[in-house]
Amino acid sequence: MFVSSRSELSEFKRRYRWMRMFVVLTFLVFVGRLVHLQIIDGNEHHKESVDNVVRKVSIPAVRGRIFDSKGRVLATSMPSHTLVAIPYYFDMGKGYARMVQLLGLEEAEAEAIGERIKERLEDPTDMRRFQQMTIVERISQEQLAAIKAHGDELPGVDIVDLPVRYYPYGNLASHVIGYMNEVSVDEVATKSGEAEEPYRSGDRVGRKGIERFYESELRGIRGWRKKVVNARGLPLTRKETEVILPDARIQEPRLGQDVTLTIDVGTEKIVEQALRGHPSGAVVVMEVNSGRVLAVASKPNIDPNKMTNGLSYAEHQALNDSAFRPRIDKTLYENYFPGSVFKPFTAMAALEEGIITSDDVIHCSGFHEFGRRTFKCPRAHGDLTLREALVVSCNVFFYNLAEMTGMDRIAKYAREFGFGEPTGIGYNNEAAGHIPTRSWYDDKFPGQFRIGHTLNAAIGQGNTKVTLMQVAVAYSALANGGTIYKPQVIRRIETSEGDVVKEFHPEVKRRVAVSGRSIDLMMEGLVGVVSEKDGTAHSTMSDKVQIAGKTGTAQVAKRKRNDGDTQAQYHYSNRDHAWFAAIAPADAPEIAVVVLVEHGGAGGEHAAPIAVEIAERYFEEIAPRHEEPLIADKTEKKKVRLPSQDSETTAASSHRR
Amino acid sequence: MPRVLVHRLRDEFDWVLFILVTVIALSGVINLYSTGQASGAPDLYLTQIYWLVFGACCAFAVAIIDYRHYERHGYILFGCGIFLLLLVLLVGTEVNHSTRWFSLGAYRFQPSELMKVALVIGLAKFLHHDPRVEGRKLQDIFIPALMTALAMVLILKEPDLGTALLCLLIFLSIMMLTRLTARSTITLALSAPIVAILGWNYLLKDYQKERIVSFWNLFVDPEADKLGAGWHANQSMIAIGSGKLTGKGYLQGTAGPHQFLPECRTDFPFSVFAEEHGFFGASLLVLLYLILVMWCIRIAALSRDRFGSVIAIGVGSIFFWQVIINLGMVMGLMPVVGVTLPLFSYGGSSILTFMLCIGLLMNVSIHRIRR
Repeated sequence: MFVSSRSELSEFKRRYRWMRMFVVLTFLVFVGRLVHLQIIDGNEHHKESVDNVVRKVSIPAVRGRIFDSKGRVLATSMPSHTLVAIPYYFDMGKGYARMVQLLGLEEAEAEAIGERIKERLEDPTDMRRFQQMTIVERISQEQLAAIKAHGDELPGVDIVDLPVRYYPYGNLASHVIGYMNEVSVDEVATKSGEAEEPYRSGDRVGRKGIERFYESELRGIRGWRKKVVNARGLPLTRKETEVILPDARIQEPRLGQDVTLTIDVGTEKIVEQALRGHPSGAVVVMEVNSGRVLAVASKPNIDPNKMTNGLSYAEHQALNDSAFRPRIDKTLYENYFPGSVFKPFTAMAALEEGIITSDDVIHCSGFHEFGRRTFKCPRAHGDLTLREALVVSCNVFFYNLAEMTGMDRIAKYAREFGFGEPTGIGYNNEAAGHIPTRSWYDDKFPGQFRIGHTLNAAIGQGNTKVTLMQVAVAYSALANGGTIYKPQVIRRIETSEGDVVKEFHPEVKRRVAVSGRSIDLMMEGLVGVVSEKDGTAHSTMSDKVQIAGKTGTAQVAKRKRNDGDTQAQYHYSNRDHAWFAAIAPADAPEIAVVVLVEHGGAGGEHAAPIAVEIAERYFEEIAPRHEEPLIADKTEKKKVRLPSQDSETTAASSHRR
Repeated sequence: MPRVLVHRLRDEFDWVLFILVTVIALSGVINLYSTGQASGAPDLYLTQIYWLVFGACCAFAVAIIDYRHYERHGYILFGCGIFLLLLVLLVGTEVNHSTRWFSLGAYRFQPSELMKVALVIGLAKFLHHDPRVEGRKLQDIFIPALMTALAMVLILKEPDLGTALLCLLIFLSIMMLTRLTARSTITLALSAPIVAILGWNYLLKDYQKERIVSFWNLFVDPEADKLGAGWHANQSMIAIGSGKLTGKGYLQGTAGPHQFLPECRTDFPFSVFAEEHGFFGASLLVLLYLILVMWCIRIAALSRDRFGSVIAIGVGSIFFWQVIINLGMVMGLMPVVGVTLPLFSYGGSSILTFMLCIGLLMNVSIHRIRR
């Protein structure tokens, strides 16, 4: 019944050998493939498999703080929690619904978040689905607790602690402190190479002021924590983690360094208050014997808290459109005609070049005719010495002086006092100002140079432009006997533990090459401006502190009336800028106060009272003169009238007797 | 009498086959234990053991009945396979857009798995009664081709591309035993591309095409499409490669337990094994399969009749091609089609089918010696 015979098997016989060969060869191919995958490419695949499960979560470095000179916190970082998600691991169904519920989101808000996540998931080639994205910033404690408690229901969702910057004093000194905001896509690409720690999208970076200038010191270096997760993005247990990642799983961040400024909040407040009632202006208060900046104000300014947390579009527009240019640091970036504030330096040139002596007299009849043009004085001052001319700020006197001295010699002394070049204070963009010379005119306006240009330059108009910081440096030099300091706004940099990384000492740029006698004469003039009956700032004379100073009323370019300008706006914009550069106390100078009120009108009436108020309150509240100094290192500010050896050296060369 | 039985067992029982199957199946269980640990199903290996024990009982039952009884009822067995395929299309359970399973309470049973065995028996029956000395012409293989085509069409209806393809490969492998005339061979070779084109256009579902295209892309540009359809293949290659020479160690793998390889228990267990045991372990497992297939050929060569030979070659081809397709898939040499690794993968239907195959093999092997 079972039919079978060996002979029938003959058809199959010869086939088995070929089958065996085929089978063996095929398996050899697979062993070869194993060699390729596991031995040749093994290390590469091993790395890939670890990368698969290891998620490196960065720990942000807490940014360093910014202090004022007395240790008050100007900028610090506050903890805040941000909800983030990696779209690829996010569950758009249940996970999304649960997240919305746990966070208690409004419908519209939830929808917007859903859209943002979906957008990244749409295109399978879009690598952003693997990038952590911010879902909700600054979540509340309740939201935090809810998310933490139900984390296992939310694959791909995580909470990162992102400190946010906080500026306790708001607007105060905001142009110096600066602000921060998020790096742009371009910056992530361009900045990454140069920084010690590459920037990533979502990072914040200092944008203005100290925040920007000391970005690398303040920033710190972020750390990381390695987490082992499964394919759904959920973390594994500690035991499983240890198996896969036996080595270091955490790298603590290096905290940012703290920066202490020379700025004093007390002085700063006095300055801000003194500027009340003026919509636009700027003040610099500088220690004359160190170049340290005690206060700077540029008005209007912006609350850095707002800038850092992001402005609305309307707020942006308002800032950009404001006629008062709140974004500009008016102490550094804006060039102004100095007006009569410049006169001491014209006088200095004439004295040093031997054009005039302290006793020479020039007559002011109220106008100065030159060619077809007449240059006027507010009134006829009569016969004036140099000192008297400074006191009454006589233009005619200085026109005559300028005619005799010449533009290039005036420029030489102006530059000697630091005009025409950036002061080098460091933070923020700094304008250089401008001191015109003959060659500059020849270059710019060939053949058009007139002596009239020199006359204008002599009284701080024409093409003479300065910054407030330059004026502060130059007047400090007048007050301290001729030392040009590099203005200084940083006191020291410390680690977060308080170890001093760098101490900043006053930096002398140069001693001006003028005689002590000339400087003394200038100071006498400046004292007279306030103390003498004819002085342009006599009305503001203080009985609390003796102040020397110089008023300035700088003409502004006349502007046509724009459509939509109110009468008041039109008048305002054509009013002169009011200057006052003060030195106090006059007998033993400690501080220079430079005030500019944009479109304030006459310097003596509108800028001088501000400077006087600042000086009075400074010596009352901040540094009372009869008590122990508040600042420990006040010793180095000990008033020393510089010895007059330099007057001997320069006298020989330039003084006609 | 029992003494005789013991002697028969000692002399005729195929210990090599038994040991091979035991080692492979136990490796599978051990591997399954590892994949189950972190993925929330730690007890799956027990289920697998139950299936193996049940399968072994079935294999024993299949083995002790002289296979000539199967020969006698060959077409009926084949008919049963076809009937089950028809039935599953009517009352089967749909999962993932395909109707492959009967649901029996908590268990699912896949008749297309059984069909592979039924096809082998049917073809064996035909060839047993059709001995030739000279070469065969095309019309001589028309009936077995028709039988195969019937099975394939029904399986493609489900649809289950992998199993249908496997039926074709079983058919081709068995026909390799026979000799075709040169003319018929050439005709077949020329018509193959036409069949392939027609099949691509009319038989394959979109997701199947997508997988083949993704595989092709992976082949041409390994960097592309890592995250799309090529994800499985890429993750599998990473897992295997990361095992390097000696492996990460048992229970230390990351791909399977942590769900980077979906379906790591049924389709990608080899990747997990290779990750944890490295090149040594993986090539050892490959070697075991090689020995198993070679042993099938040996059993075929030693068989006392044509039916036995075709059964051994048919079963051997099921093992061979499933191993090749599965390993090719996990090593990135072939497209991702859901074909299990014989005796190693998790799954009741799969284990049961292979145990039946082993039972048939054992049967042929035991009865090779003439008395």
